[in-house]
Amino acid sequence: MEEALKGRTLFDQAWPLRWKLPSVAALGQNLRPDRFQNFKRTVLALPLDSSMAMRTRLTWEQEKYLRNYFGEKKFCLLYKASVQEFAGQNLLYKCQDQGPTMVVVYSEKYVIGVYLQEGFQENKVSTTLFTIQETGLSPCALGPCLPLSLFRYEETSDFFILLDKKTVTISSEIRKVLRLPSLSGDTFIQECEAFRCDELLDERKTRGIVGLCSNLLDALRNYKPYGDLVHQTRILLLGPIGAGKSSFVNSVKSVFKGSITHQASVGCDRNGISDKYRTYSIMSKNDSGPLPFVLCDSLGLSENEGLHTDDICHILKGHTPDRYQFDFRKPITPNHPNYIHDPLLKDRIHCVVFVFDINSFNQLSCELVAKIKQIRRDLIKHGILHLALLTHVDSLTWITKGDLLDIYSCNPVKVKLGVFHRLFGFALSDILVVSNYDSEWQLDPVKNMLILSALKEILYTANGFLEDLPLNK
Amino acid sequence: MNMLGLRGSYRNTKVTTRLTWIEEKILEKLLGNASLTLLYQSNVHKRCTLEMTKKCSLQGSTMTIVYLEQEVVGVFMLEDFPDKDSKKTSTCAWFSFERNKISSGISALVLNTLVKVNSTSLQMSSISGLTLIVYPSKEGLYLNEAVIKNLELNVKQSQYLECEIFRVDGIKNNPGFIKKMVTARQHRGKFLSTLRAYRPYADLVSEVRILLVGPVGSGKSSFVNSVKSSFQGRLTRQAIVGSDKSSITTQYKVYSIKDEKNKETLPFMLCDSMGLEDEKEAGLCTDDIPHILKGCVPDRYQFNPREPIKLKHFTYAASPPLKDRIHCVAFVLDINSVDTLSDKMVAKLKKIRKDVVDCGVGCVALLTNVSDYDEVLDNNLVNMTENMTSLNQVQNVRNMLNIPVANILMVSNYASERMLEPLKDVLIFAALQQMLRAADDALEDLPLEDTASDDGSFNNSSHIKNEGKLGEVKRREMS
Repeated sequence: MEEALKGRTLFDQAWPLRWKLPSVAALGQNLRPDRFQNFKRTVLALPLDSSMAMRTRLTWEQEKYLRNYFGEKKFCLLYKASVQEFAGQNLLYKCQDQGPTMVVVYSEKYVIGVYLQEGFQENKVSTTLFTIQETGLSPCALGPCLPLSLFRYEETSDFFILLDKKTVTISSEIRKVLRLPSLSGDTFIQECEAFRCDELLDERKTRGIVGLCSNLLDALRNYKPYGDLVHQTRILLLGPIGAGKSSFVNSVKSVFKGSITHQASVGCDRNGISDKYRTYSIMSKNDSGPLPFVLCDSLGLSENEGLHTDDICHILKGHTPDRYQFDFRKPITPNHPNYIHDPLLKDRIHCVVFVFDINSFNQLSCELVAKIKQIRRDLIKHGILHLALLTHVDSLTWITKGDLLDIYSCNPVKVKLGVFHRLFGFALSDILVVSNYDSEWQLDPVKNMLILSALKEILYTANGFLEDLPLNK
Repeated sequence: MNMLGLRGSYRNTKVTTRLTWIEEKILEKLLGNASLTLLYQSNVHKRCTLEMTKKCSLQGSTMTIVYLEQEVVGVFMLEDFPDKDSKKTSTCAWFSFERNKISSGISALVLNTLVKVNSTSLQMSSISGLTLIVYPSKEGLYLNEAVIKNLELNVKQSQYLECEIFRVDGIKNNPGFIKKMVTARQHRGKFLSTLRAYRPYADLVSEVRILLVGPVGSGKSSFVNSVKSSFQGRLTRQAIVGSDKSSITTQYKVYSIKDEKNKETLPFMLCDSMGLEDEKEAGLCTDDIPHILKGCVPDRYQFNPREPIKLKHFTYAASPPLKDRIHCVAFVLDINSVDTLSDKMVAKLKKIRKDVVDCGVGCVALLTNVSDYDEVLDNNLVNMTENMTSLNQVQNVRNMLNIPVANILMVSNYASERMLEPLKDVLIFAALQQMLRAADDALEDLPLEDTASDDGSFNNSSHIKNEGKLGEVKRREMS
């Protein structure tokens, strides 16, 4: 099911600049080797026009402007003039009866488009003109229009596109509304593209996501620590104050409970709410005992007042009892009444997750970054596996719920992951992204999917640690 | 302008594929990382071939999918969809799967196929005898015996529920690419079987040890994780990777590899080491190499860049048994850095190479971060392609380390991906296979006294069994 977690959007396609003409292609290979033993070799010739790409010029950001205005849509390219000829008939062939349709023309400086709510059909449809510029999208509602009238010359028309002449003509009144300069005459267009506008999160996808979440939940409920070496895997959450550690605990609890819970305290107190060491078991919906993993929450990291470095060592080794009250000036000592003197493997931490807010990790002070890096080096030295978890991805500029489906392919997320990778040195595949439940009252399958996927990676990583333990420990 | 008027009434049906989200994802994966865009749907658009060609011509590669009651049959076509009353020859991937059970497997073939469109039908005929005909006006489907047999279809139906045609984006316009993508899973299975069945030469040892050595950041620990991931069938992170000022790996680590299917360890281990650095007294000491090769260094030994290993550090005997030695060394180099290695680094690598030869250990080079990984192997995924073997980087490694081209291997580690890819697995397995061959060559070439000293007598089978038992104990300790 992991394959379902990742897809690629049109924007991410990297069309190859090179292609080769094979002199001989040995075709006929199949998945079951017994067949077609006498297949003949055939010489193939590839026509040149196959190298032209059906790929939109729209950038990820431009598509985002469009989604913000017209709703969460997936823009499916149906027609591209430079590939399929600058001819109105061809556009009509491709776009007729496709549902909501958008036509975009590109001049030297401007992106100008028409949105047809009911698409190309015989009747009048609700029509909106728009331009996309640096400052955003500027709409102009035309009201009901015959789709065909937009692609032929009429003296009284405010707007029309003549594909065979490669021009778009816009009246001065409409230009003003679209925030275009008041130039007279026709505008030459370099390209014309037409799209069907599908729902990004339609019923089909939602059903798939719900099914995937159900599978993930089953897998996690049936999770077993490696070799049954411990009954519960212990996951330590470390990170700056306000990164979302406790919020992540609550989110995990909520997903397994089937409703929103706020058992781990969350707040915006300057010193951070989590001033106690807490080990949270997760209960399944059917209350058949706790699940075989524990999330351990701790005081946030900061330059001076946060979690003491020595306290981290004690937590990792399993000396720190549940509900221990941290004091940033003074780490726990063996004299503490609840100090665990001889911890067993079950008391130790089996995986560490560094938790950061995706919006603010690059504003951490140099001192704190250095401190976190040193903690990481210590973990490496002691062979403790660890991951990074970036929270609040949905509050990143441009990100909306529909993007969570393929979150690692979104441009803003890619940029953030790259910055994080260079700042802290984690491998890209070791950086996970989630959206915690903060203000919601109800669970959302897309958020659940991110949370469960991240948790699965964390537990598998913990198993890797347990598998690699030397015998004498 | 002279445009045709819109004809036919608009049917109030949404243009939405019948594929489930999971099915869509898996089909996209079948061709690499493709993206599907629905162009034509028989229950929405006119049921005639003219409408098909209007919507699907000049779109690039397409995929035609026909839905039956229980099964789905599809043909991916690399070339453009033909115009009406014309035909076109193309590389095609034929496939089928059970509806709502795609995870249990897709039957797929890559065949050269003639695609014809006339006034009543869309016909696809492979040169090898498969024939599929779609009659849109009567929602009819003809499949000949060869299709039913080779795509493992259960029923022969004449009526379909739906026919959909998609554009396929994001793939290379290359028949070889398509063939590799579609057949990669099968080849992965073959390599996996071969590696599962591997036994070290003459069972001289129970496990072959492969040492990974190379500059900081070249991907040694990443390769360990990638091998583990490929065998597990999912991403694993046991060897800590990342980037830092110096080597992330500072210990000598011996990793056994577990087979996901059998839950047993495989008969080889990967030994990870500290990275090499340009400066003296930084990174792995080259003086440590002979000790590692001879098997004197224990698992988890903490390297010290300023102080080479001294024998008094260990309780090991001065002459460890054959099973503890290194049997193959892989020089791990980032393909993007091979041409810019400093003279000092080259000198270090050459010194290690000399030690390797002196110790009679097998030797390969492993180039990592190969971005065109789909071009490393030929279309049958058997040999490296000439384009790759003639790369500057390969020639430079050959000249620098005197390693034959056949033992200069190329992989793309799982470092930024979040899902496995069968073709990457194939490269990893192929590299591993070459390493094991190099190890076997070295074992075969051992002087007789080297094998006799371990067993007392080379021909004494009871000693070989004892060796097996010791290996078993060792394996249990490692896991």
